[in-house]
Amino acid sequence: MMTDGVVLETKDLGYSFAPGRFAVRHLSLTLRRGEILGLLGRNGAGKTTTVRLLTTLLTPTEGTASVLGQDVRTGGRALRSRLGVVLQAESLDFVTVERNLTLYAFMWGVPREVAKARAEEMIALFELGAVRHRKPWALSGGERRRFQVARELMHEMEILFLDEPTVGLDAVARRRILRYLRDRARGGLSIVFTTHILHEADQLCDRIAVLHLGRLIALDTAEALKRRHGGAREVAIAFESVLAPALRVDLGRELSERGATLLEIPGEPPLPPNRLSFRAERAEELLPWLTQWTQSHGLSLERLSVEETTLEGAFLGMIGDTEENGEGTDSRESPSAERLPPGREGEVP
Amino acid sequence: MNLPPVLRLVVRNFSSNLDPITVLIRFGQPAITIVVLGTMFTTIVSSSVTGGSSYTAFLIPGMVAFQMITGGIVSGNLFWLDRRWAMTEQIFSGPFLRSEYLGGLVLTTLLFSLVGVGVMILVGVPFIGLPALSVASVGMVLATVALGSVFFAGLLIALGTRLRSANAYFSIQSFLQLFVIFLSTVYYPVTARTPRVLAAIFYGNPLTYAANTIRDAFANSFAGSDFEALGILAVLATAAFGAAIWGFRTLELGPIQ
Repeated sequence: MMTDGVVLETKDLGYSFAPGRFAVRHLSLTLRRGEILGLLGRNGAGKTTTVRLLTTLLTPTEGTASVLGQDVRTGGRALRSRLGVVLQAESLDFVTVERNLTLYAFMWGVPREVAKARAEEMIALFELGAVRHRKPWALSGGERRRFQVARELMHEMEILFLDEPTVGLDAVARRRILRYLRDRARGGLSIVFTTHILHEADQLCDRIAVLHLGRLIALDTAEALKRRHGGAREVAIAFESVLAPALRVDLGRELSERGATLLEIPGEPPLPPNRLSFRAERAEELLPWLTQWTQSHGLSLERLSVEETTLEGAFLGMIGDTEENGEGTDSRESPSAERLPPGREGEVP
Repeated sequence: MNLPPVLRLVVRNFSSNLDPITVLIRFGQPAITIVVLGTMFTTIVSSSVTGGSSYTAFLIPGMVAFQMITGGIVSGNLFWLDRRWAMTEQIFSGPFLRSEYLGGLVLTTLLFSLVGVGVMILVGVPFIGLPALSVASVGMVLATVALGSVFFAGLLIALGTRLRSANAYFSIQSFLQLFVIFLSTVYYPVTARTPRVLAAIFYGNPLTYAANTIRDAFANSFAGSDFEALGILAVLATAAFGAAIWGFRTLELGPIQ
């Protein structure tokens, strides 16, 4: 049963392709109506398996998954007819791009007139006009990918699964597709989106699930993940007046006590006397204190900048943490997976 | 009004995978065989060998039987290409059941084979006239071709579910086609002078049963052996279709070469 707009819910979902060898394990997550959920992970992390489990192409061997209120084990056709799936693999029929679109719509039972109009819309939206009479194998990699996404949008759906839809796309096409998906999500379409391009996940996704070796290690908004896992960031300060050497030492000591490291490299030319830089984990949490310290010492800030944390930095941090904590053991190849601490799904809410 | 899923898949099979050149070659090849091989061999093969009729008259029912291989190959290749180009996975992720996809393939095979039967008969008209088939004969021809088509389609689909390489699939398919056609009574009858080993192989080949039964149907003279042949074809078709179903149930989706 769907509650609070939840359209997809998994609990301890797992898929074992051989005894003791798991592609996905202990996956617990939710998706709400109109939400875009990004699935991130390295190659072989379990993203595609997760999509296949949620679209009934694979049957889970563990746990439960409910999509649009139906169990994926029993939902079958009734469930699939409410989903859209853009596979990671190129799936093509041997007819022209335009015919592919209308033929696919026909297969989905879309009325002919609606299909024709929608095909025109998709051809325009995905810039396929120049290749509409070509067969898919005559298209470039990016054109094929655009075509594949366009084809899936020929029918109505409530959840769209996109498995690396932007591979091979140029920046303009990517931006166009992402904007379209964002608009569709605003209209109520829920989207599950796997990608290796962390920047686009950051732009597009409301929440991001990070999979590593078949397990969910984090699930949160991009901002929260960056804040939590972004690692040390550089803060650069410029005071309006020269910072006296004693105050400089005092500030350095206080920052050090708060876990920050002053960036004064021996042998390097010193920074101008009104400037100072330091690195700190959770640098933004030091900013209120720094402002207060400045005021209490009768100083004024000319400029204060904090290095931006990228999702890539956070992602690498998460993967690194997991491996350093001994949880990088490939659960699909070793029985030691059984010893991994349960509930280590990180920040699963 | 929406067509049932199986019929939508059949339309898709014909639209997407059967281009005019493929269709022309599939039907043109046996048609040319009737015209060229029939004409040339009629001049050198004694009618006593072919049961009193001309070689062309002997060959036409053989080419009609051949349509079950043509239909089977169409279906097997359709499935293979769908698998190779991930359309199987794409279709299975949509509002279709695996059984419907398989049913669509079988129906495509049947339609293709039965159209092929019509084409072969029409190509033969200038040589032997329109065969005066009784209703029972028409039923016998259609049943034989249908069962044979399901057999070959099932066999190739089952093969396609197991193999992961296009080279392997098409090599086996070509070999099977050659083996089945030439070791059957499509082109020549089994006579007292046929080497025993070859005769044994001929009678282990379902195409032989089909060709012989269709020849009898064309002559409107059935024997008990024709019904036995139909029974054997039915058993083989069931077994091959069963193998295809099993293959589908255990089909691994994902990229292949």
